[in-house]
Amino acid sequence: MPGKTNTDMADQPCRRCKETAAVLVVRKEPLCRDCFIRYVHTKVIKHMESFRVRNADPNHQRKLLLALSFGASSVSLLHILDEIRKRQASKTGRTGFTLSVIYVESEGQIPDQDLLARVPEAYPDYEFDYKVPHWVFNMVPENDKLLDLVPPEARNFSSDGKLMSLLKSLNSVTARADVISTLRTRLVVEHAKASGCEGILWGDSTTRLAEKTLAETAKGRGFSLPWHVADGQSPFGIAFNYPLGDLLKKELVSYVNVVGDHLPSLVLESAPTQASMSSKNTTIDDLMKQYFESVEENFPSIVSNVVRTTGKLEATSTTTATPRCDLCSMPVSDGRFGINGWGGDQHARLDTVGTSNGTQLCYGCTRSIPQQSATTNGST
Amino acid sequence: MPPSPCALCKVNRALILRPKDHSKLCRPCFLSTFEAEIHHTITSSRLFERGERIAIGASGGKDSTVLASVLKTLNERYDYGVELILLSIDEGIRGYRDDSLETVKRNAQQYGMPLEILGYDELYGWTMDQVVEQVGKRGNCTYCGVFRRQALDRGAAKLGVKHVVTGHNADDVAETVLMNLLRGDLPRLSRTTSIVTSTPSLSADGAGKNTNIKRSKPLKYTYEKEIVLYAHHKNLDYFSTECIYSPEAFRGSARALIKNLERVRPSAILDVVRSGEDMAKLVPGSDEGCGGVCASAVPAGEEEEGGCGSANGRSSGGEMATMEDQLSQNEAAKANGLEVEITSSKIKKSEAPLPLTVGKSRKVPKASQPRKEPKKQVMGQCKKCGYLSSQEICKACVLLEGLNKNRPKNHIEVGYEQEKDVNGATEAMKQLDVGAG
Repeated sequence: MPGKTNTDMADQPCRRCKETAAVLVVRKEPLCRDCFIRYVHTKVIKHMESFRVRNADPNHQRKLLLALSFGASSVSLLHILDEIRKRQASKTGRTGFTLSVIYVESEGQIPDQDLLARVPEAYPDYEFDYKVPHWVFNMVPENDKLLDLVPPEARNFSSDGKLMSLLKSLNSVTARADVISTLRTRLVVEHAKASGCEGILWGDSTTRLAEKTLAETAKGRGFSLPWHVADGQSPFGIAFNYPLGDLLKKELVSYVNVVGDHLPSLVLESAPTQASMSSKNTTIDDLMKQYFESVEENFPSIVSNVVRTTGKLEATSTTTATPRCDLCSMPVSDGRFGINGWGGDQHARLDTVGTSNGTQLCYGCTRSIPQQSATTNGST
Repeated sequence: MPPSPCALCKVNRALILRPKDHSKLCRPCFLSTFEAEIHHTITSSRLFERGERIAIGASGGKDSTVLASVLKTLNERYDYGVELILLSIDEGIRGYRDDSLETVKRNAQQYGMPLEILGYDELYGWTMDQVVEQVGKRGNCTYCGVFRRQALDRGAAKLGVKHVVTGHNADDVAETVLMNLLRGDLPRLSRTTSIVTSTPSLSADGAGKNTNIKRSKPLKYTYEKEIVLYAHHKNLDYFSTECIYSPEAFRGSARALIKNLERVRPSAILDVVRSGEDMAKLVPGSDEGCGGVCASAVPAGEEEEGGCGSANGRSSGGEMATMEDQLSQNEAAKANGLEVEITSSKIKKSEAPLPLTVGKSRKVPKASQPRKEPKKQVMGQCKKCGYLSSQEICKACVLLEGLNKNRPKNHIEVGYEQEKDVNGATEAMKQLDVGAG
């Protein structure tokens, strides 16, 4: 909790400006309010280099999509970017980019209308959209292979029914959570493309990116890690940017409180990550979240080191011709689809590529949506 | 619940819930599946060659005992035509190895395999007990791990064996993948995921006779829990104890994570191994793309995996804290470095003298501190012992030098011990006197 550090900080001066009293300790440095805010902004600006005014075409405003979750991180990101734009405008009379904001509802977290209304109120300059995950089925092109993953009997259902029956066919909470989060990503991508955005800004903190790194590793998606944590062109044909990638989750929680104003009222209190006693109700994502919450407490640099390390992995070069996974849409080189046909597959089956119904899923997605031919190998 | 029949033979009653995929099997089907999978790994990765002499790194623990038993079974059943030898290393930890070495000796008889035991004292002049006396419990696992790695190769060379198999299982490999992600060590991540590590390119000159040893992990895809089950149902004679010196560290943290993952999704261990293999191909400058077959592939020399027989940590419990300090210092230095750059450019603009930099210049050299970058290691040979090393002097020789430098200190302690001994002796003499009286 950010308040914890305040008490013994009272008489310490800020390590940076040496004038004002420090309000909190950031990576061992006592900082005052202003210097802390500057610290956070600097870290974000570093990721937004290419969206400086000097890089902007005066005749074309670049639009970026910000994925908001109403967590401390993405709310901070919205606020910081708004501040950056205001400063750009006051300095040069124009801005380097504009924003469009999207919120995709997440399971068990339905914000009240009041909260939804507060965003356009506080940030009236931007478009604000609200979506539900299953709408992705209506947003992808009609011939998208994603639709083939819906169980045949549900193909004519509404998007809601499609998602329900797809989730019902999955065998674990981890699989369901994994499929939903993959669908959310795809929905945000589809929305970005449809609304003319040239890039997506994700509100993931270092801590969240570290969680994702280990979670995706644990789900067998090591091959696609470089695309999940680093700024740059994503395989979706749209740029991904992680402006909060150098800030810890706890620093962003502090930021919301230090800035105060309307920010805290925009953050949807998420239930504390409790170790569910039953492993049946725990997901791999939960597990990693808990793990990094504790690592962040005592070893914050190790958290950022995980992300920095993963950023050094080189994505395999792909072309538009490289086959994609039907669910997560990541390029799968050498046609290594499914969970068969590698050293760890002990069954020596021959049906390694593709399945009877013609769907192609990457290793990780096959774990979540077991295919017909693979049901006897692995999960029951 | 009514007793369910075995999922494979459909005849016998299922008694075993397979940890790997939760399928219900009877005892014979479990045992034969377990063996068949290892056979599959051996044949599909072409681990063995007919006529090869293979040393099994044997600790007396469950992994190496199961490995020895399964390899004996498979060698007979499928006629690999390989000659199997047990090779044990005695670290010289009283109370730890004494019993486990007895187990290995029994195994040697049970499986009819020749056994070679090599001690750290023979190889390095130090037992682990002596090392701990010298360096304390903190960090001693580093010594043990570094010494062991060479010890197996030296032992193999002594036996004229060119291939050592170790009992590293899927849990160990998965653990190592997560651990190296946490430590930010991509080169090691890429090396430790391969099933075979070898250094064929070094065999050319004679000095490298120690280093030309192939290592492989036939149990790489085998779950630890299944190894335990196999040992249990085969009534194998193994010794289970944790190394008395092994503390919690990065590996401990990764291990706990793996166990939790397995509980949530049994396939997760295998999935982490798969991720590790795929990531190895993405490590800049890695040779993994060739599948570990090309000549320069995967040097084994400095690869570090589960150090101890218990596969627990090699390094001190403060390892994470030490790294945290190092990293945060690096970050601070980097930030300061940036600050200096900015001020100096500002200074240039305003053409002011250099007042501010003096205070900060102290910190500047830190910025150039070697940061962990995934650079390609050039493997050469240690100038002292000829062992494979990326440095001029290999790790073991560096550690030994440190230990030997401090030997004089040890002498003082010995002197102290002698005093005690003198007391003991006088007591003994007194007793003698009494006896005589």
